[in-house]
Amino acid sequence: MAFVDQLLTNLLYGAILGSVYGLATMGLSLIFGVLRIVNVGHGAFIMIGAFTAFWMFILYGIPPLVSISIALIVGLALGFVIFYTVIKRLIDAPELATLLATFGIGLFLEELAKLFWGPDYRGFSWNVGSVNMGMTIIPVSKIYALISSIIIAFVLYLWFQRTKLGAAVRAVVEDKEGAMVCGINVTRIYALSFAIGIGLTVASGVLITLFVPVGINPYMGGEYTLKAFVIAVLGGLASPWGAFYAGFIFGLLENGSYTILGLLPNVEPFSLTRFVAFTALLIILLVKPTGLLGGEK
Amino acid sequence: MRPMLPILFLYIILFIIGYTIPGMWQPVAFIMFYIALGQAFNIFLGLTGYVDFGYVAFLALGSYGMAIAFSSLHESSLGFGVILIGLVLAMVMSSILSLAVGAVALRLRGAYFAIATIGVNEGFRYFVEGARIWGGSEGMIISGQIRNVFGSDIANFVSTFVADIFVFLIAGIAAFITYLILNRKMGYALMALREDEDAAKVMGINVTKYKIMAFILSASFAGLLGATAWTLKMTYVFPADVFLITYTVEAIVIVMLGGAGTLMGPLVGGLIYGILKYYLSVLLPGFQLLILAPLLIIVVVAFPDGIVGALKKRIKGELTNYIR
Repeated sequence: MAFVDQLLTNLLYGAILGSVYGLATMGLSLIFGVLRIVNVGHGAFIMIGAFTAFWMFILYGIPPLVSISIALIVGLALGFVIFYTVIKRLIDAPELATLLATFGIGLFLEELAKLFWGPDYRGFSWNVGSVNMGMTIIPVSKIYALISSIIIAFVLYLWFQRTKLGAAVRAVVEDKEGAMVCGINVTRIYALSFAIGIGLTVASGVLITLFVPVGINPYMGGEYTLKAFVIAVLGGLASPWGAFYAGFIFGLLENGSYTILGLLPNVEPFSLTRFVAFTALLIILLVKPTGLLGGEK
Repeated sequence: MRPMLPILFLYIILFIIGYTIPGMWQPVAFIMFYIALGQAFNIFLGLTGYVDFGYVAFLALGSYGMAIAFSSLHESSLGFGVILIGLVLAMVMSSILSLAVGAVALRLRGAYFAIATIGVNEGFRYFVEGARIWGGSEGMIISGQIRNVFGSDIANFVSTFVADIFVFLIAGIAAFITYLILNRKMGYALMALREDEDAAKVMGINVTKYKIMAFILSASFAGLLGATAWTLKMTYVFPADVFLITYTVEAIVIVMLGGAGTLMGPLVGGLIYGILKYYLSVLLPGFQLLILAPLLIIVVVAFPDGIVGALKKRIKGELTNYIR
């Protein structure tokens, strides 16, 4: 029974963490879906969000939930700046150029963060009590993280479906030339989508701090870049909604397989869990590159 | 043979600089590693246009190949034969992985291929660590075994000199192979493939065959490079080091900087990148990446065809002006 309890507890944590993973991947999928650019520097933006939450909490005592909106604004601004300085010139360039450019941007942000804030691991704990779920006790801050990522994803969905700008973005995804003929400024839509993608990613970095008590550091992003790739492929790479659901699945799979692999003798379950994740990535890419969940429309 | 001459000439100059001027061997070997990396990667990335973001996995496997040769044969009396066996093992292991990856992942294109290869690299690394094969996350330390085989004087000579000579040779042979490919049917087939794969297929070119050939060639050079520049030189293999994605990116930067698919490109790119990185880390330790990252972005935006590519274009442009 102990094992079943442990598995259930881990799956519950997996679902909660998965919602944040989903949010953290939506930005990657949105940018790929609209601009056809894989943001290899994705994790650096999560790091920026984590540091935003950290400094807001330490310096001004602002709780992470409020920092989400600050991070969103920081991310939007950062996204616009990066788009108009670099990405705009690479829209029609081959993959090689955009992969390198986004990697360079991520590297630059990491090095800047190291220059300003040092390479040490930092952390903070936002204590707002906890809830007893019977088999385990869950901190309320993590439940807030779950609720906020669902709300953010839902608001984004409404924005896409119900507003004119959202429709314009969908039109550009559907048919770039057609959208241009209809009078949509495609470059501006690209800029907006890139900025929203970065904004979402930075905002998700705030929520990630609620799960890594002492894991904030300039190089923390690399791990999330790789996870985001797996999740994005699982969700169809170009579909933010697919990514959000895939995040849940990934969180469940990660924590579930960790518990099961922990039973094997003489292995490192933590590393094997990642091996399982990347094997899944390869299989999905080969069998159904458009993702398990519908994928591109 | 004429296009090979300037390359050989530059290698010889580099060798002489390193060999005769005291204290220059280390920087020359450092720069040569990047040139060799560029030459090896150019055979795949430059000639096919496919972006392998997990290229470093081949170097990693090669470095494990050499480490396995030393750790299992250090009690034999084979002497330099162990290095030879290590090199063969490195080539075989990296070729087998490239064949496996090539057979499945080369069906994917563009961003999907790049992500799949990242997945192979990371998956392999976590498999080595997770299943605790080849020492798991603790890696393999073979300095004792190398001393066992050669005695401590020659062992020192092997890791400070012989390993670097191998890197020179690898860079030279890889450049020669590139030259051979460029002037043969395979080169034209790959050029057609790079410009438009579907059109090349329709024209009756066996694209899969040439892609996989380029992939295996490039991967086996990477394996040799990992075996010599990493294992023989450092005398240890740690999975966290040898699977580091940064090396893949450095390789892409070098090929891109010089000009993908050109014979001189990797040499120019490796020279520029190696010199910049070495002297930035000497002059401004800790800040080299802070300077290299924006440089990388500027190069990508300003010279999408690389430096050699841009020069070629400019020269061609002027010539056509004259002809008109």
